Amino acid sequence: MPDEPERSTTDSPPQMWIGLLDHITAHSMDEDYANVSRRRSSGSPRDQRDVRPGVAAMVMLGLFGLLVATAAVQTSRNAVAAESGREGLITQIKARSAKVDATRDRIVETRREVERLQTQFLDDTEEGRAISRRLDRLGTDTGSLAVTGPGVKVVVDDAPDATSSQQEVLDQDLQKLVNALWESGVEAISINGQRLTNLSAIRQAGSAITVNYRSLARPYVVSAIGDPNSIPARFVETEHGAEWLDLEATFGLQFDLTSEESLTLPAATRLDLRYATSSEGSQ
Amino acid sequence: MIAGLGLLVGIFLGLLLQPDVPLWLEPYLPIAVVAALDAVFGALRAFLDGIFDDRVFVVSFLSNVLIAALIVYLGDKLGVGGQLSTGVVVVLGIRIFANVAAIRRHLLHA
Repeated sequence: MPDEPERSTTDSPPQMWIGLLDHITAHSMDEDYANVSRRRSSGSPRDQRDVRPGVAAMVMLGLFGLLVATAAVQTSRNAVAAESGREGLITQIKARSAKVDATRDRIVETRREVERLQTQFLDDTEEGRAISRRLDRLGTDTGSLAVTGPGVKVVVDDAPDATSSQQEVLDQDLQKLVNALWESGVEAISINGQRLTNLSAIRQAGSAITVNYRSLARPYVVSAIGDPNSIPARFVETEHGAEWLDLEATFGLQFDLTSEESLTLPAATRLDLRYATSSEGSQ
Repeated sequence: MIAGLGLLVGIFLGLLLQPDVPLWLEPYLPIAVVAALDAVFGALRAFLDGIFDDRVFVVSFLSNVLIAALIVYLGDKLGVGGQLSTGVVVVLGIRIFANVAAIRRHLLHA
């Protein structure tokens, strides 16, 4: 180790009176260079060495180059590893979601098969045909069967250039809209292809609205089956319908109600009762 | 020039061999590079000032690298590794800038 530099006669070290940052800047070069040079010029014979860099400096610089190159190689290698890890994850995600899609398709297929077998079985007897008709009616009511008929289509969306959440369509706005439609006498409703059942919830989840636990994308298309001539008039008379007209006028939400001659609403995707069982017993 | 040759050979060797850095050493490599950079710029400035000394350079280089790595290691153990690394990089960064400014004055006389 080089000798400790000779301090000036002041009592306190320099960083105490010139400030730490100034001290760092002023002493950015190793003080030992100056010390050694001073000692050399004072003429002690054992310090008479060359001021040109020698073999030791070359070795050190070689070490420095090695260090820099190694660090660079290591960094780029890590980047490659991170990238390949990311790609692996993406591949896994894609594979898994493809699997989920396939399983979902199989569920739909199986359900269709069950319905077909059920109908086939019931159609064999008079009693069965009665049950089948009852099933059809219940299915239309509860949303487990696709239905078709005349009705209205309501397209709602956020206000153009919406800045606050008041100018966006929220879950409660959709709930009001749906309630107003039910009050106006419609018989079946679907939102963006999601059939509403007695178990459906319209909820805000994060920034998206979910219906039947599926996220919806704007704009929201609410299809309702009912009398296309009377629904628009009855809609504005309902409390929630009037609220919607207010929303349109005050916050600029987009609202567009059109009559349709024929609408087809899909069947609901999930209708699982986990706790409730029929109290009438088996029929 | 012999020192520049050493630098070139070092970089060439590093790129050629691509040595595997042990996992425990990996976090200290970047800070060691910054510390080494500080020592090298200090040496270059001393050389231009005409007061370069082999022994001082070797000692300052090795102690810079070791102490910088040691501080980060200590910080890691104490749970303030990130903050201490930042501190070391700031101080060494200031020194590097000051040294480069002095070197620039020497080379460009400006």
